[in-house]
Amino acid sequence: MNFVYHVIAIIAMSAPNILGFNLIFGRGKIFHFGPLGVSIVAAYATFLTTMAFGSYPLGLVAGFAAAAIVSAFFAWLSLRLDADGFGVMSIAVHLSLLAVVLNWTSLTRGALGIPRVPRFPFLHSTVDFMIFSTIVAVLWAFVLWKIDRGTFGRKLTALSEHEWHAKALGIDRPFIHLIVFLIGGVGAMLTNVQYHQYIYLVHPSDFGYPAFIFFVTVVVAGGPGSVRGCMLSLVLISLLREGMRFLPLSANILGPVRLILFGVILFVAVWVRRDTLFPKQRTV
Amino acid sequence: MRRAAQPSEYMQLLANALIAGSLAALIAGGLALVYGVLGVFNMALGQLVLFGGYSTWWLHQVVHLPLIPSVLGGLASGALMTWFTFEIFVNPFYKHHRFLPLVTTIAWSMILDGMMLLLFEERPRSILPGLKKTFEIQGARISVEQCILILLTLVALLAFAYVFHRTSFGRKLRAVVQHDSAALSLGINSAVLHRVIFIVSGVFAGAGGIFIGIDQNLSPTFAFPLTIKAYAAIIAGGKGNIWGAIFCAYLIAGLEQVLVGVHWFGAFYVPAGYQQTVALLFIIFFLLLKPSGLFSSQSRTA
Repeated sequence: MNFVYHVIAIIAMSAPNILGFNLIFGRGKIFHFGPLGVSIVAAYATFLTTMAFGSYPLGLVAGFAAAAIVSAFFAWLSLRLDADGFGVMSIAVHLSLLAVVLNWTSLTRGALGIPRVPRFPFLHSTVDFMIFSTIVAVLWAFVLWKIDRGTFGRKLTALSEHEWHAKALGIDRPFIHLIVFLIGGVGAMLTNVQYHQYIYLVHPSDFGYPAFIFFVTVVVAGGPGSVRGCMLSLVLISLLREGMRFLPLSANILGPVRLILFGVILFVAVWVRRDTLFPKQRTV
Repeated sequence: MRRAAQPSEYMQLLANALIAGSLAALIAGGLALVYGVLGVFNMALGQLVLFGGYSTWWLHQVVHLPLIPSVLGGLASGALMTWFTFEIFVNPFYKHHRFLPLVTTIAWSMILDGMMLLLFEERPRSILPGLKKTFEIQGARISVEQCILILLTLVALLAFAYVFHRTSFGRKLRAVVQHDSAALSLGINSAVLHRVIFIVSGVFAGAGGIFIGIDQNLSPTFAFPLTIKAYAAIIAGGKGNIWGAIFCAYLIAGLEQVLVGVHWFGAFYVPAGYQQTVALLFIIFFLLLKPSGLFSSQSRTA
């Protein structure tokens, strides 16, 4: 039973970050390939501050501030560059941040990661984490659903469909981009604060490119922009990923089989959604 | 205690830069051609590079074919796999939207990663295992294989330059690179040339994989850094500018060697882990300050 609680907790903890990314990439059609760059900064700022000063509130403030700064930087880049340029740039920024974390060993302990990160005083067992993370995920999904269905969501959709026409109608592109990236940053923070204290470790391998591919797979399979679809695909794909542990395969077979399976899922999802993933601009 | 750098150290850096640059130039040259024509990102490029290398390793070390047929087999398998990539993961999608292949090739890169891990396992594979015979030039130690690889890369690039600039086929290629639709209206079968260009990039990628397999060891973990370095070169060189990309590939490789090989101000060495950030910094620098790249060519407009 404990494994079931663990799986529910992991799914719920991942949800805020992936839903935030869904709003940027899925709804906004912004080629943001660096959501894990925000996660790296959020996680390390939170836990390094917490451990240095012994204060969780201070750590949370530092984490939110760091996530906001990196998110605002990404928003600025997205306004400055064309779509594919921003895609490559966001990968470059993400990997540069990862390189700093891996090599600034005096601060981050490099590839060893930060062990024994402290937990919130009210979180002890897997059940505690499951309940807390589920409440956070449901609240966050509700907030994003309201945002998506409201004026902001419509503006974001208009910008993604035709930027110039949307601007001509008075939609403030810089403001919308800044807000959507900040929402993504808050999602990254919510996920990372919970996940790393759950496993007692902040490790660079949690922020690698494969983790980002998981984000893309979930968003594309769930229907870009759809909060409900994204949650459903997150649950199903996570269950599939965790359920594969029970296959009678050795670890060196299971890893590659999982990669192939997720690659096929992503490809099929793109095939099915090839007309809606990046819709052609409307023309007269 | 400050220690002055020895001239032989600089020669060694130069030799290392030439070796790494030759590899990067092979991969980036093919990619620049594809990006110039189709404007699509192929995120499975690194995996296609390794596939060519692993195929050669398998033919030489498992099937025990002689080296030359194994290399030819590796190039052919690289070309075939790239053709397959084009037909399944690029061609059905890029007419819908040119960004779709970016996601489909991410999916393909995962599938290829999984397949290579299953078929060739994670441990390092070398096409020519064992100690390499090295000799010294001006204090720089370099192996015979590395010299041959540098020369062969130059020969391949010169042959490509001849075909590209001096033959009727090359003129057609350049016409498609400059203006796809105009080339089509002049009777050039651009659909076929798109395939040819993709396959040519696959041959170059396969050659890069063979280069890695002979010079070092093949490992599935190399794939993504190779892709990133190739994109850094085409962004810095000017998107679609083949010779700009090749020049920048050598430049990036040179700066990577200088960054971690020089005893800076006689006081410290930059950790080797930062070596790969040179390509990333190139991407960030050029996209922010000179998005058109070093050698941008103006596209023709009416």
